[in-house]
Amino acid sequence: MNASLELGPIFRTLLRNKMGALLIALQIAVTMTIVVNAIFIIDEREALMARVSGVDEADSFYVNSNGFASDFDNPNTIQEDLRQIRALPSVRNVTTINAIPISGGGWSMSLQTEAGEGKDDVATAVYMVDHHGLEALDVQLLAGQNFTEQELRYRDGSEEGWPQNIIITQALANDLFPDTAIDEVIGKTTYINNDEPMQIIGVIDALQAPWIGWEQLENTMLSPEYFAFNNSTTYFVRAQDGMRDQAMRAVEEYLAQRANERLVRGMESFENVRNESYGFHAAMIKILTIVMATLVLITGMGIVGLASFNVNKRKKQIGTRRALGATQWQIVRYFMLENFMITSIGVLTGAALSIGLNILLVNFFELNRISWYYIPIGMLCLWVLGQLAVLGPAKKAANIPPAMATRTV
Amino acid sequence: MLKMENIAKVYRTDVVETHALKEFSLEVNEGDFVAVTGPSGSGKTTFLNIAGLLETYSAGRYFLDGNDVSGISDAARSRVRNEKIGFIFQGFNLIPDLSLFDNVDVPLRYRGFSSKERKQRIEQSLDTVGLSNRMRHLPAQLSGGQQQRVAIARALAGSPRFLLADEPTGNLDSKMANSVMTLLQEINQQGTTIVMVTHDPGLAAQAKRNIHVRDGQVSELHEVNTEHTRDVVNG
Repeated sequence: MNASLELGPIFRTLLRNKMGALLIALQIAVTMTIVVNAIFIIDEREALMARVSGVDEADSFYVNSNGFASDFDNPNTIQEDLRQIRALPSVRNVTTINAIPISGGGWSMSLQTEAGEGKDDVATAVYMVDHHGLEALDVQLLAGQNFTEQELRYRDGSEEGWPQNIIITQALANDLFPDTAIDEVIGKTTYINNDEPMQIIGVIDALQAPWIGWEQLENTMLSPEYFAFNNSTTYFVRAQDGMRDQAMRAVEEYLAQRANERLVRGMESFENVRNESYGFHAAMIKILTIVMATLVLITGMGIVGLASFNVNKRKKQIGTRRALGATQWQIVRYFMLENFMITSIGVLTGAALSIGLNILLVNFFELNRISWYYIPIGMLCLWVLGQLAVLGPAKKAANIPPAMATRTV
Repeated sequence: MLKMENIAKVYRTDVVETHALKEFSLEVNEGDFVAVTGPSGSGKTTFLNIAGLLETYSAGRYFLDGNDVSGISDAARSRVRNEKIGFIFQGFNLIPDLSLFDNVDVPLRYRGFSSKERKQRIEQSLDTVGLSNRMRHLPAQLSGGQQQRVAIARALAGSPRFLLADEPTGNLDSKMANSVMTLLQEINQQGTTIVMVTHDPGLAAQAKRNIHVRDGQVSELHEVNTEHTRDVVNG
């Protein structure tokens, strides 16, 4: 039996019983508006969080040594610390460093390819590391060479100028020398402080700057220096695979034994650095997810409620339809079609509202413009939600016996 | 046309077992106009529900249009109801939110007729009951008698082999009741078999045959026009 869909009669019936249907349609529209924008925001945040820092995050940590005695011999302490820490079996490598990637605090400079004031420049984060920095940070040299021990200098804040050689990330290389092969970048000169030349001796794959919200997050340069501002030195330690906790204990024990005239503090895993840096994003994702789940649940319950109310109100009518020849499936289909129409009004309104809300968010909160495909996906999800929610009441309706038609109550 | 053999219907609850029909046997021939009478609780409506395949039965056999419809699936019962039976209910059972046109259209859509054929049938059946000029009205805009005429048009639109009418004049005053009864007689004269349940002996007298039901059994068959009355002993 090829029974025709009852789109016209259902639509006309809805027109005569507008209020309930419109309220549900409005609820669907609001749900879609919020869900679509929330998912877009969540996706953006997750994409931000998924960016690779470049560091071996699972196995890395850092610790700070702060010499307080007036005659504290920091250069020798650093050398001794580095030697001892590298000798620990659980440690893969260690470097001194002036700032921790994605931690929120660091140092940035501008580089230019031509000397002189007013020339185009490119911003970059600066990490001062020793010749073990590449392995300690788990960055790969794509071209050129590493620093040698001989070119390292000790920087305590009073030094002027910059080292002769630097290593930069591929992203920074592309910004400085667009359309230039990486191999050809090696040996090129860049200028810092307008006219201080530095030669690029190496290009590494990736290492993020300290500031996760910075547009030039991937622009980083490594400078061959032991950094110890006011006798404060940070050691960035990379443990052997899977041995971070042992390495943290071992480094802590070693530093505790040699804690004369200095404070050792602030030991923190890189995992923790990431969690703190992206804590706001993670919390936002959680809140938005809870809001979405609650909204979807309430909307689903609203649809179930309206459909159940309609089924109870139309028991006699449903029995009559069954008596007149409707199969159980045709009764189920009736309610699913009715829901589809209500949901369609909701999702079409929701599509317009979603774009409207996004425009507001773009204008007032500097969010990105929503990708077009979120709208049809959102509509599809709400349609599916509506159909799933109405299925129970529709099946209940289909179970109303045709003999209901002849009952007087 | 309709043949029931020893039909039994038992309603069971946790504490009570009610025998609504007991060894109920009846044969209705093509072209008949049968009025079924009986006191409240006698089993009239149960008979009507079973005859119209609205309910299943506990025992016995039922042949409709020569086919044994015992034990057929729910979907098959729906199809038989849609294609062979027209229903007229005491409360009209029109759908209040649909126009007369859409009300008459309800069973035709389940039948799968084309849009063109449905329109033709709706217009023709509403014309038969004298309401073709009010197709776009809602049921609430009509009198009770007119609403029952719409229900008759809905029952007729699918060209059923027989009509089952449940107290078709029960909610109408005598003038409207007579008008509906006259319409049913005209329909019957055009060849449609009608089985009508009624309380009203006056209306029953206008049918060709009367069946009296008591305690779930046919207690009396009465040929109205031949003055031939006989008792039927069931079991």
